[in-house]
Amino acid sequence: MKLSDKVKKILIVDDDFDLLEQNKVLMESKGFTVVTAETGKEGFEVFQREKPDVCIVDLIMEEMDSGFILCHKIKKTELGKKTPVFMLTSATYETGFKFNSSTKEEKDWIKCDGLLNKPVIVEELLSKMENYFGI
Amino acid sequence: MLENKPNILIVDDEKGLRLGTQRLLEEEGYEVTTAENGYEGITLGTACDFDIAIIDMKMPDIDGLDVLGAIKKVFPNTICIVATAFASYDTAIEATRLGAFSYIPKPFTPDELIYQLKLAHQQRTLLLEAEKLKKEREAQMLEIANEKSRLNTIIKSINDGVLVFNREGKVVYFNSSALKYLNLTEIKIGDNIPDEFPPQISKLLNKYISSEEFIGKTYTTQIEVLPNGELFVEAACSPIKNPDKTLAGVVVVIRNITELKKVELIKSQFVSMVAHELKTPMAAVQGFLNIMLDSQIPLPYEKQQEYLSRSVIRLRSLLDLVNDLLDISRMELKTKQREIVEIDMSEAVKSTLLILELDLQKKGVAVIEQFDEKLPPIKADINEITRVITNILSNAIKYNKDKGTITVTLSSVQNYLVMKVADTGIGMKPEEKTNLFQEFFRAKNEKTRNISGTGLGLTIVKRIIESYNGKIEVESEYGKGTLFTILFPINI
Repeated sequence: MKLSDKVKKILIVDDDFDLLEQNKVLMESKGFTVVTAETGKEGFEVFQREKPDVCIVDLIMEEMDSGFILCHKIKKTELGKKTPVFMLTSATYETGFKFNSSTKEEKDWIKCDGLLNKPVIVEELLSKMENYFGI
Repeated sequence: MLENKPNILIVDDEKGLRLGTQRLLEEEGYEVTTAENGYEGITLGTACDFDIAIIDMKMPDIDGLDVLGAIKKVFPNTICIVATAFASYDTAIEATRLGAFSYIPKPFTPDELIYQLKLAHQQRTLLLEAEKLKKEREAQMLEIANEKSRLNTIIKSINDGVLVFNREGKVVYFNSSALKYLNLTEIKIGDNIPDEFPPQISKLLNKYISSEEFIGKTYTTQIEVLPNGELFVEAACSPIKNPDKTLAGVVVVIRNITELKKVELIKSQFVSMVAHELKTPMAAVQGFLNIMLDSQIPLPYEKQQEYLSRSVIRLRSLLDLVNDLLDISRMELKTKQREIVEIDMSEAVKSTLLILELDLQKKGVAVIEQFDEKLPPIKADINEITRVITNILSNAIKYNKDKGTITVTLSSVQNYLVMKVADTGIGMKPEEKTNLFQEFFRAKNEKTRNISGTGLGLTIVKRIIESYNGKIEVESEYGKGTLFTILFPINI
């Protein structure tokens, strides 16, 4: 089984216009279809409309916690329970957001399926996706 | 001859003896006063502190013993010698009881008298010396008592908490600040290290007390006494050394560092924010370059050009950010020497508009100047004022709509020079307005996406204006425009 059998469409949500475009180009170069959104609100709309196979959500968007909120909202839906959400973070820098997803508590709390450091390393993201789908 | 002639009082009713003795003693170098009866003896003897008094026991008017008692009562240090022809055991005892120094039987030879006087004089000297020492000692004791209460008052009034423990770890002294800073209701003198004491301090105290060797170091520890940063203290524990180099006790000085901690937190949050703000444009540039270098991603020439331009924009904003940060740092250091000059605000606005002309043209924004005539000058640093005008006007351009207008009004109201800058731009939502002057805050929505900025411009403006005791206010309507009003005091 290949990753491309499981993942066709990826949703990327980031409030930085440049970083959003870069990640879109990177993912498209790996053969995925990419849909994008720049705010948490828009992200949830696109998620419901486009039904992506994977979500990549920036932690800090226009408001400090909108990345978390979006992640929560996605995970509450029936579709979201089956869709992996990876969060982008430069959190080691941010006061008040010093965490990693190493413990079960943190994973349960954040509700996401993996954390990725910025800037994104494509290989790392791909291997996280493969792990999720058991490939 | 005797040094500083001793004063002698002779009290005797026998004229011959009285005068004979006077002559004899004056020749020996004594200063002699005589009294011819008991009454005169008491009068003279209680009026002046004689060194020695020779008192005849039997006098017609007043008994010699009464004279002796009267003199001793007033001047206990006058040495009294009792002289009598009618010596008896009982009178001798009575005389001694009343304080007589010695007893000389009549008639006496000159040698006997001189010998007795010498002894008496020695005694007098000793007595005076003893009294002097006693007085000195009393004075010293008083001084020590004063010193102690002064020290006590000082320690009680100092703002730092002071606690002293003896080498058994029992409390021997504390002041009220110590209770306050440890959030304790009471400490009892003589108690062991209290249980409710912060463990950090108890641990240090035990370190000194349990050590067999004398520890000469001072240890400090920081304690969050009340949660949520409400009360932070720093305790410094220092040993008190005995002369034999063993531990006498430990003194703990507790300082309130709550404010310091607050500043520290604000500073570290600011540094985190700066790091994030610096990292984001760098990550964006790095991302574009990585894509362009990736041979597996085919990019058309136009895309490459676009990515390079976008990288340049991010780098320029990074540079702006660094410049703004330097400005803030200079303001905080307060080392920046201000050159206060008289500034004509209409001139300052006009010259700033010249600098911004290119930006105005690009967006096709027109400026309407409404300057009152005869505006009073303000007194300020021209660089700082230029910075304020530049930041406000460049915001009015950046956040304006294409072909919009900016209206700059200058007037003087009471003791203020008032500058109003109104734009016809995108305006702000109420929640954006509240955060406007916060560091790094930038309104983020679909309309601001392509507007670059550091999020520090208005922070700098506010700091400059407030440092001159001025005010800045903002009114805004989302989608319609924003009005900034700056009130700058006119120094008369």
